[in-house]
Amino acid sequence: MIVLENVSFCYTADNWILKQVDLEIANGSCTFVVGPNGGGKTTLGKLMAGILKPSLGDVYLEQQNTKDLALFQIGTKVGYLFQEPERQIFAATVRDELAFVMDLKEMAKEEINKRVEAALERFQLKEVENSYPFQLSRGEKQRLALAAILMHQPSFLILDEPTTGLDLERKEILSQVIRQLKEQGIGMVIISHDEKFIQNHADRILMVDGGEVKDVG
Amino acid sequence: MWAKMICLDPRTKLFMVLTVSSLAVFITNLSLLLCVLLLALAAVAFTGGNPLGLLKKLKKFLLIFVVIVFVQSIFTKGGQPVWQVLNFTVVSDLGLVRGLQMILRFFIIISSAAIMTTAKPREIIQGLVQCKIPYELAFMVTIAIRFLPILRDEVNDILTAIQLRGVNLKQIPLMKRLKTYAYLIMPMITSVLLKAQELSVAMEMRAFRAYPRRTSLRTLKMQKQDYLIIALCFFVFLLVVVLALKIK
Ligand SMILES: Nc1ncnc2c1ncn2[C@@H]1O[C@H](COP(=O)(O)OP(=O)(O)O)[C@@H](O)[C@H]1O
Ligand SMILES: [Mg+2]
Repeated sequence: MIVLENVSFCYTADNWILKQVDLEIANGSCTFVVGPNGGGKTTLGKLMAGILKPSLGDVYLEQQNTKDLALFQIGTKVGYLFQEPERQIFAATVRDELAFVMDLKEMAKEEINKRVEAALERFQLKEVENSYPFQLSRGEKQRLALAAILMHQPSFLILDEPTTGLDLERKEILSQVIRQLKEQGIGMVIISHDEKFIQNHADRILMVDGGEVKDVG
Repeated sequence: MWAKMICLDPRTKLFMVLTVSSLAVFITNLSLLLCVLLLALAAVAFTGGNPLGLLKKLKKFLLIFVVIVFVQSIFTKGGQPVWQVLNFTVVSDLGLVRGLQMILRFFIIISSAAIMTTAKPREIIQGLVQCKIPYELAFMVTIAIRFLPILRDEVNDILTAIQLRGVNLKQIPLMKRLKTYAYLIMPMITSVLLKAQELSVAMEMRAFRAYPRRTSLRTLKMQKQDYLIIALCFFVFLLVVVLALKIK
């Protein structure tokens, strides 16, 4: 569960992007965030993920204030997919991208391999497992980033405009993944403009505009 | 505001930057350095920048200053101890002075660079070209200025993303450090390469360097105020140099 209590946020003094927002996002539901460009959707997403800390008010992830959590602790609670997947891909091969954090933490090789295989299978990345990630198509990069995030088994996912630049087929793959995740009880917040996509998945829609967040469906 | 009304030629601004930053390099006297810093901040305000905001940003570097003072004190011989722990000099007066010098220089150079950010990128190119600098070089300079804020955002996101994967950047075991940094550098280099690729295609399509000579629709012309300011810079430069020699 993510709870925002009376949250206000500004990047620079007195330029409030969000004003006194109260919100509760339940586990296992799929919430969409819509609104005009520059309205503060990404900012709201980063606040929910604890990447940004509120200027005023508090954000709680599973009852813990994000102000008390370091980023590396947040990763096991919330996964965050950036608007630009290139910014969260680090390794020289797709396979290594999925494995390297576990490698750094010195997990057993067999366990790592098992998890990596499962992820490759699930996200249809098996054919490209030895490719250079930055040469993948946008959809593949995005699935790779998502797969890597899910290696940590977060209970929440925040996706920033995941459908931009995807063709119908890739969108369908993404939809399947979202449906699976929902069945596993993972809560999701998705920032998107894609009406059809919203209709297919939304349990709840939030509108962000002029510093306010309103429930619109 | 009156500062907004004065529209200086980018070449004048460049001259201001050169004056201030070369002073920062030559001068060792602390009070003179402080004066130069004040001058630089005044110049930022004069060209329409925000010196207070700049100072706030510079505050972040104070920690580095503290580190420099310790390092200079511990590793340079001579100077009187200011703070000793068990007969071991932790802070010496020489270290303190050197540290202060460094941080003041650093502040001056950053502040003077802030003068340039008040000029439009297109104007900077034109100014450099009219100073007989090849267009290609001038263009590179402006690209660097233009892309810095984007790169900064990107580096922030990259650092955030790797930590969200559960890597604690503040506590990496010594043996893993190099490996972790290699993973961090990867997306940064790739993004720069990709940007360069896209930009080069875009430039190609607009026929960059298709003709040996470029002509410009707009040319810059120095105004009275520009000559005045350049003369003033020159005067200040001489004054400070003379002062510095006297104090020695
Ligand atoms: N790092 C930043 N520093 C200052 N202002 C920012 C920063 N990021 C975003 N903003 C500003 O915050 C506002 C909301 O941006 P954002 O949350 O990215 O909107 P959206 O994702 O809805 O397009 C915009 O006006 C933008 O200019
Ligand atoms: Mg956005």
